[in-house]
Amino acid sequence: MNTIAEKKLNETFMAGSCSPANKRLFSAVVSVNKQIGRRFFRLELEFSAADAEVLANCQPGQFAQLDLSATALPPAEAIPENLVDVASRKILLRRPFSFADVTVKGDKTFVDILYCVVGPASLRMTTVSAGDSVSVIGPLGNGFCVPEGKSITLLVSGGMGAGPLLYLAKVLTADYPQLEVIAFAGAKTASQLPFEARLDEISQQLGFSLGEFAKYGVESIVATDDGSAGFAGLVTNCLTEWLDRHTLAAKDMIIYSCGPEAMLARVAEIAEERKLDCQLSMERMMACGIGLCQSCAVECKATDSSETTYKLCCKDGPVFNSREVTFSL
Amino acid sequence: MKENIDISVDFAGIQLSNPVFTASGTCGYADELADFMDINCLGGFITKSITLKPRKGNATPRIVETDSGMLNAIGLANIGLDAFIEEKLPVIEQLSVPVFVNAAGENIDEYVAVVQRLAAEKAIAGFELNISCPNVAKGGLSFGTDPAQVAEITSTVKKAVGEKVLMVKLSPAVTNIGVIARAAVDAGADALSLVNTFTAMVIDIETGRPVLANRTGGLSGPAIKPIAVHLVNKVYNEVAKDCGIPILGLGGIRTASDAIEFIIAGASAVAVGTANFIEPGCAVKIVEGIEKYCVRKEITNIKELVGSLEVK
Repeated sequence: MNTIAEKKLNETFMAGSCSPANKRLFSAVVSVNKQIGRRFFRLELEFSAADAEVLANCQPGQFAQLDLSATALPPAEAIPENLVDVASRKILLRRPFSFADVTVKGDKTFVDILYCVVGPASLRMTTVSAGDSVSVIGPLGNGFCVPEGKSITLLVSGGMGAGPLLYLAKVLTADYPQLEVIAFAGAKTASQLPFEARLDEISQQLGFSLGEFAKYGVESIVATDDGSAGFAGLVTNCLTEWLDRHTLAAKDMIIYSCGPEAMLARVAEIAEERKLDCQLSMERMMACGIGLCQSCAVECKATDSSETTYKLCCKDGPVFNSREVTFSL
Repeated sequence: MKENIDISVDFAGIQLSNPVFTASGTCGYADELADFMDINCLGGFITKSITLKPRKGNATPRIVETDSGMLNAIGLANIGLDAFIEEKLPVIEQLSVPVFVNAAGENIDEYVAVVQRLAAEKAIAGFELNISCPNVAKGGLSFGTDPAQVAEITSTVKKAVGEKVLMVKLSPAVTNIGVIARAAVDAGADALSLVNTFTAMVIDIETGRPVLANRTGGLSGPAIKPIAVHLVNKVYNEVAKDCGIPILGLGGIRTASDAIEFIIAGASAVAVGTANFIEPGCAVKIVEGIEKYCVRKEITNIKELVGSLEVK
């Protein structure tokens, strides 16, 4: 795994941009589809040896489009009340999911996706089981990059945004042993943290640490809006307090963030105020994921004028430099 | 291709190896689908709409999924004519498939400007005149709903296309599509493509607001297919059949069976649109499926199938 990871981000670094591996249409086999807590699931997909190389070279921050249109609904009693009406709707389009992990075991490659049930497609997704085939298009978009000269990376997630940052944590710790990696995981409330394992025994000052990050040797700091776990308040407030407490040179640090748009906007502001490098993984409704439909526009500052321009989340992103994005909230 | 089956099409004088196009706005400018299929295996390729100046497009959300369909309100976002010529034309020149440029504008002069600049390009087989985009404030659909305006824009642009084929793309959002089709043909259209998307709306009942930033969008996908088949058949019977003008049929096609319905209804060729988003490469599978159908039904030339609808 180390060699693959190394190749990945080093290539990125050498090229100065995150050139993605060739995208393709795959048929993957579900190996695990497991519920985590009340709202979250982890889907693990297995790719055959013939397909493994393309997937093994994908980068943290990249994503895949899954076709869930032929997937069955769960039984009526398992459908949350707020989704009863939309559950009957047929699914047409694929749905985008970031990679939460990619592992190579022998000649097989396994890809993890973290998801929560928010609509008719993710509701159906809960019913796929080990052995089922899923049509996947990927790897798509551009992943996170590591600029030269950084020694501290801060991963800031909100809710499901933790997915791509888990994979990033793995690759950063494997490839850049000199980097200190700290994860800030936020959610509205403790039950909305998309994690399985709590490792209180190795916990830091806040008494709540996440096994998913700890297994890569990454310290995690939890924040919940309602104070039900970790820091009481927004994860962005937790981040600013941490930054206030640690006198570090801005040029040594970089923030990687993924989560709700309002959170990303605030993270971008914090980065701007403190002159920190910052990369954001954005989310948009998208039809194709491969740059055809032009649906997933992200408003960005134009380089040559005061006007704004639209970039595509699927093709130009989903990872953007925080300085280029224009938030309208 | 099977030796005894001919699925090639003479489309207004252009020889197509088969009747399957990819539809404008769903297949990029040139080779964006190359990771998923050999674009030269298509019968024809239609670019994203090109306007004289670059267009940013509409605010987001620009799409929303509906039952068996989707609404889009992209707003003709495109790189503009100059960038198209500089960046995309060299790629198109490498393709052997006949390429049509979908031309759009806010006024007739803009359509003419786009077509005039490209009319001399060897790599371009023809133009698709977009007078049916429902998602822009000026131009687009407003040209496509009034027979007099359809005639004016078609005849004016026809003078600018030179030897190239001029195909006019019709909107379904009219009282009588036959009248619009007649106006386009009488004004010099060499081919017709139909249908563009249907103007539609989805409302978020929690906020009481439309989901799309543009309020309305164009409905595409399997949901519109039976209506599109009907409209193709109507235009074939009322206009195209007698004057020998070919129809490019589209609207919700995602399988060979869907494509064959359009051909039986009167389309000489078909275009795959929304389905490219879900299975990018499905157009090539549709070509194979049409061949298999011809073998099974002992059809030696696809022409036999065009407009072959049996009505008692």
